[in-house]
Amino acid sequence: MPAPDLPPDDMPNEPRWRRYLRFWRADPRADVRDELRFHLEARVAENLAAGMSPDDARRLAAERFGDVSAVEQSLASLTRERETIDRRVAWRQVIAQDLRFAVRQLARNPVFTGVAVITLALGIGANTAIFSAVYSVLLRPLPYAHADRLVELREGAQGGGSMNVTAGNYDVWRQRSPQFSALGAYWYGSFTLTGIGAPQRLFALDASADYWRALYIPPVIGRYFGSAEDQPGAPNVVVLSYALWSSTFASDPHVVGRVLTLNGNAYTVVGVAPAAYAFTPTAPQIWVPLALTPEQRAEHADHELTVVGLLRDGTALPDAIRELSAVQGELAHDYPRGGIDGSIVGLPLRDSVVGAVRPMMLVLFGAVGLVLLIACGNVMNLLLARASVRRKEVAIRSALGAGRARLVAQLLTESVLLAALGGVAGVAVAALGLHALLRVSPGGVPRLGDATLDAPVLLFAAIVALACGVVFGVWPALRATRLDLQQALREGSRESSSAVRGSMRTLLVIGEVSLALVLLVGAGLLVRSAIALQRVPPGFDPNGVLVANVALPAARYPTDSAMTTGFERIAQAVQSVPGAVSVALASRVPIAQFGMDCTVRRDGSTPDDGSGVDANMRSATGNYFGTMRTPLLRGRTFGIADVASAAPVVVINQSLAHRLFGDADPIGRRITHCSADAPVWRQVVGVVADMRASGLEEPPPNEVFYPVAQLPFSAMSLVIRSPLPPASLAPLVRRAVAGVDPELAVSGVATMDEIVARSMATPRFTTTLLVLLGLTGLALAAVGIYGIIAYFVSQRAHEIGVRMALGATQRGVSLMVLRQGLALAGAGVAIGLVASVATTRALAGMVYGVGTRDPVTFVVVAGLLLLVAALASVVPAHRATRLDPLEALRGG
Amino acid sequence: MAGTGTSVALLQGTLDVIVLKTLSWGPMHGFGIARWIQQTTDDVLRVEEGSLYPALYRMENRGWVRAQWRITDNNRRAKYYSLTAAGRRQLAAQTGTWSTFSLAMARILSATRQPA
Repeated sequence: MPAPDLPPDDMPNEPRWRRYLRFWRADPRADVRDELRFHLEARVAENLAAGMSPDDARRLAAERFGDVSAVEQSLASLTRERETIDRRVAWRQVIAQDLRFAVRQLARNPVFTGVAVITLALGIGANTAIFSAVYSVLLRPLPYAHADRLVELREGAQGGGSMNVTAGNYDVWRQRSPQFSALGAYWYGSFTLTGIGAPQRLFALDASADYWRALYIPPVIGRYFGSAEDQPGAPNVVVLSYALWSSTFASDPHVVGRVLTLNGNAYTVVGVAPAAYAFTPTAPQIWVPLALTPEQRAEHADHELTVVGLLRDGTALPDAIRELSAVQGELAHDYPRGGIDGSIVGLPLRDSVVGAVRPMMLVLFGAVGLVLLIACGNVMNLLLARASVRRKEVAIRSALGAGRARLVAQLLTESVLLAALGGVAGVAVAALGLHALLRVSPGGVPRLGDATLDAPVLLFAAIVALACGVVFGVWPALRATRLDLQQALREGSRESSSAVRGSMRTLLVIGEVSLALVLLVGAGLLVRSAIALQRVPPGFDPNGVLVANVALPAARYPTDSAMTTGFERIAQAVQSVPGAVSVALASRVPIAQFGMDCTVRRDGSTPDDGSGVDANMRSATGNYFGTMRTPLLRGRTFGIADVASAAPVVVINQSLAHRLFGDADPIGRRITHCSADAPVWRQVVGVVADMRASGLEEPPPNEVFYPVAQLPFSAMSLVIRSPLPPASLAPLVRRAVAGVDPELAVSGVATMDEIVARSMATPRFTTTLLVLLGLTGLALAAVGIYGIIAYFVSQRAHEIGVRMALGATQRGVSLMVLRQGLALAGAGVAIGLVASVATTRALAGMVYGVGTRDPVTFVVVAGLLLLVAALASVVPAHRATRLDPLEALRGG
Repeated sequence: MAGTGTSVALLQGTLDVIVLKTLSWGPMHGFGIARWIQQTTDDVLRVEEGSLYPALYRMENRGWVRAQWRITDNNRRAKYYSLTAAGRRQLAAQTGTWSTFSLAMARILSATRQPA
């Protein structure tokens, strides 16, 4: 097939494809006229031959033909159709021809093709895997019916920030918010399910009826509860989660109407919610009506409810917030002690669900993008190297009449084909990568588990591959076709420029090194953070401690004294388990995010003098500190005398002691805590060392510990120190608790070590991934450096030969080559260091114990890159010293 | 359609198969095709000659026929149409369909028994 070439210069405006038409038609419209005229004239001639008069002959011919102009019009439109077809065929032929040629070229150079495809597959695959995670977590709409109109509403707090909503304020909002078609609210609760197998602790949402209107996904079976059931005194109903229904109830289709015993009370199952509700780590196992009591509706200071609004169709979020803020202003005025500043904080629900993990996801996405750039840089370098090898081929084709655009198109087809192969292999890499990613991912990232290689992700991979092929193919293609014909033909395959310095290939490698440095600095900062975090003393000894949660249902343990006695008996029973060295109880053990924070004041202060600080409220047995091996710094811990009727006492932690009393001895001083309206003064009897109770990366919270008898919680954690392996201890603990009361559920059994590790799972995940990406980038950059130095040696073979002939030592030659590699790497490192200063700011919220411009990290990473550059240059340097001067000179 | 009482109106799609059959004898220009139809059917099928051309163009777009300008015996320039391989396949398929159809029609119209 002849290669189509460019249109001659005298027809600048004619589309290319017209050329094909010109093979047989000068002008399609004239052709139509000629053809029809021929027909009519032939008919007339025949009629004349049959003996008709000229008039009759013409008239009959026209009659027989029909409406000439209508036919002409119809033919014109068919001709246009024809032109479209011709154009399509022509393009298809060109592309098919280019593709065939590209396939032949790539097949002829299997090493080049293999290296390029593997490099691209790594880059595209890593990007696709991370993108599938980013898409699933950040971009995919929430599963609800009107996901785009859902807003989480919070109350602006005095002194900044935002808080959950009080039941009283929620009640007012609901009556005065026409801009929302539903305003759902919930708080977290828990229930013990008894009567079906072993007692089970269930995580619950106490949700208003409007919760289902706002966050609607059709139920699997049955229905959700409505307003009539969301009232105090209404019959108890419960909605089951899909997970609970399929496990505990074995997907029983007749579960609706069944009566369950929750906390000793009867609840009727009304429906099963679909699995789609379980996309967050805090998804509940059951839903029960919130059923706010009149007292709760009058509460305007306790910020407990999470409120989700469904915007009325067509209402803009800022408008809705402005209107609700007017209501909130009145509430702030009416209830000045409610802690609210009269503003409303409204966030699209998706942002509030995934907002916390967004920085981490974006950092990973950015990092993997850098890896792709480095990979593409390497491929572009390969293409440039081939461009210089193919100068002769290109010159010949050019001399045979192929235009430059044609040659560029041909070369671009090759690079796009290469990228497409890389993309296909990349999707396979992505499938493996995603599988591994999900295997090691922490549980705390919402919706990550649903990440798959679905249509949007594959589209992303296709676009990335195409972009790689075009962007990184254009320059080499232009470069390969920009040549002086005669010179290229004369020189054969040797490139005329002999210096590595300043060429595009050099710039590429410098760029790769700087990108790799940015990646590694980021990874290095996170590694330093992880090390710093590992060295943080937690304030307790997690090794050899088992934790298990027990809750006493109010129906069976209705009074404080019943709860106190109940827990005492449980602790005694567990204490008798062989191997249990000490058994303590605490209302909340490290490491936990939530908790009851309220103001604490020392004696001699007034409520308004600003001396109050927020502190966490905890209840614990006297041996809790000993069991956790948290040192008692002053005074005493709780004893058997600290019963409910005795004088109220507390133990505080070191941070709080320092904040309230400075360096003075707090023992014997009195404080009031969580009792703003009617202060109850409690004597400080002891000070304990700080525990990192909210997480190792968080400063120790202020803590006030109460004796269990004076502040019994219905749910407590058993803290058991034992040298026995936890796996063998856990069943014994369960049996001991069941021995006290067989209806009690033991949940959340875990070792303290596990709990600490879990709290660091997400940062460790990010760090691991970033380190992997950094090393990938480093390896790719090393390949780039090796490639360019090897090229340098091959180009300078002649010069090296001369030098050696003139007496240069092997060492001198070797150093000359090494210097080249280090100069490149040095330039890349310098640029990379400057770039890192700007980019590491994105890590500000993820580093711990190091600054984002940590000089140690910068210096170590820079040194590492220079070392790798030197290593990558060693092989070509060695090869340079092995050159035979005679051979090199003759070859030149 | 212009014509006398003995002519028959063409069924939809019939023209295509007639043209394909005509071209199966060899390349022909539009007027040649019209004349061949006229002679073969003794002018019973009176094709409005103008409608031949859109049919030819359509078949060219579909790849059934190929067009080429040539010089006639009388030394005039005329556009000749010839069958492509696809056109030949199309003719074979259409021929089968038409034979079945006309056989069925003949049976119906010559039937002597009334339906049960």
